[in-house]
Amino acid sequence: MVRDITIGQYFPGNSVLHNADPRLKLVLSFVSIVFVFVCNNFYSLALVLAFTVVAVLSSRISLKVILKGLRPMLLLLIFTSALQLFYNKQGTELFVSRFITITTGGIFTTIFMVVRIICLVLLSSLLTYTTSPTQLTDGIERLLSPLKVFGLKNGVHTLAMMMTIALRFIPTLIDEIDKITNAQKARGANFETGGIVQRAKALLPIFIPLLVNSFRHAFELSLAMSARCYNGGEGRTRMKQLKLAARDYVLMAAEFIFVGGVIALNIIFESVI
Amino acid sequence: MSLLELKNVSYTYGAGTPFEITAIKNINLTIEKGSFVGIIGHTGSGKSTLVQHFNALLKPTEGQVLLNGEDINRSKHSAHEARFKVGLCFQYPEYQLFETTVYKDIAFGPTNMGLSEEEIKARVLEAAEFVGLTDELLNKSPFELSGGEKRRAAIAGIIAMRPEVLVLDEPTAGLDPSGRKKILSMICEYREKTDSTVIIVSHSMEDVAAIADKIIVMNKGQVYKFADVHEIFAHSGELASLGLEVPPVTNIFLKLKEMGLDIRTDIYTKDQAEKELLRYLQKEGIAW
Repeated sequence: MVRDITIGQYFPGNSVLHNADPRLKLVLSFVSIVFVFVCNNFYSLALVLAFTVVAVLSSRISLKVILKGLRPMLLLLIFTSALQLFYNKQGTELFVSRFITITTGGIFTTIFMVVRIICLVLLSSLLTYTTSPTQLTDGIERLLSPLKVFGLKNGVHTLAMMMTIALRFIPTLIDEIDKITNAQKARGANFETGGIVQRAKALLPIFIPLLVNSFRHAFELSLAMSARCYNGGEGRTRMKQLKLAARDYVLMAAEFIFVGGVIALNIIFESVI
Repeated sequence: MSLLELKNVSYTYGAGTPFEITAIKNINLTIEKGSFVGIIGHTGSGKSTLVQHFNALLKPTEGQVLLNGEDINRSKHSAHEARFKVGLCFQYPEYQLFETTVYKDIAFGPTNMGLSEEEIKARVLEAAEFVGLTDELLNKSPFELSGGEKRRAAIAGIIAMRPEVLVLDEPTAGLDPSGRKKILSMICEYREKTDSTVIIVSHSMEDVAAIADKIIVMNKGQVYKFADVHEIFAHSGELASLGLEVPPVTNIFLKLKEMGLDIRTDIYTKDQAEKELLRYLQKEGIAW
């Protein structure tokens, strides 16, 4: 199960999204995600879905990878849908029995929630799928650089670096969990039976080595970074200067159309949730 | 007598999904009781996938794994039991230590077996002795040990289960030559004393050739060859062409042959090399 988490990974490629300016991608994904929640009727929801599909397709990342990234969400989706469907009492009642009541409000909310969660996950994963960690830090750092005015001189760089490193280590740690779990199973550890307390205890042989190994990775990484004379952001220049190109303006225009479309559709049609 | 038997075993990661990868296919193997088998193969040849079938960590997609004639995957219980009968020590086992003391860590396996306190103690002390850990070290935290000591403590954790088969995945990976020697001689000694079956996985032929009696050569998820060591080296040229790192000494003889000398290439130890060189030189009338 943990193996399926692809969020945070980077898949090198040569698509419109891969080549776009990372600052722009950060802003656009943020705005898009906001508008995933702004839409309030089926027309604007359809636009959100269409926009997400177009974005996914234009990344030219194989659908296998995309679907794999969605798989871990399945349980959450089913669980929350069930809750909404059975416990939301708004709107007209469609089906009434002693235990459950299904209403139009429930169905609408469920549909909205499922589409929103899927779009949210897809749009946010697309950012890391198409942006290398280096580019991502670069983008975050540049976007936050106005904060330097408030005396956070080195802070912005440090924050950006920490975020990148954290993202970079997600797959490594997942791999590690897998290995440690197998090793402890080979010594007869049992993670599948017993009560809650017992099961929680059974996880210790996984969590302790994982924690220790994370520290080891951190020390090794910091050593490797200082060996390459890393000393924070001050005076650091870049080999690749970020500059908005023509294709970035095209993406921006597409985003404006999307945002405008969602607002317009929200105004024209009545809200259903 | 056959102890461990694999019948037509295939394993596919992510079977039934669009992400299928067949790691091993159609493996037929019989491992005799008391034998010392080396498994060699290139990275990605399926070695690690194969050994995880020996103790039911992986359930074959197709085929059967028999231990003492019984299918280890017949029930959850039997799969659990197989973990104790086939002790599998993973690569870099030192990263799995977690207890507060080395003693407790070695006792983890035996404790999971549900043994009595005395029995656990006897086994832990015995295992510690095999790997050369002193009593003083047993009371330390595993995180205070040196790299080599950690590795030995982790191996002791497997030995303490007194498995019928000891499987070691790359036990010498990342160690310096003296550490490597220590581990290998420790494994040999363990085997002599306990008469147990040992399987050792390595991508370095040199380590394996020196100590094993039989070798399994894995290539692209299949058993390329399973034979006695000398038989394997009778085709040392083929091994090199599979991208396997043959021992340096074998390499010299392969090169000599390539240069047109009428010389044997099934050489994998220093003694053999000396004998063969002398024979050649005598034949040519250079030495006598």
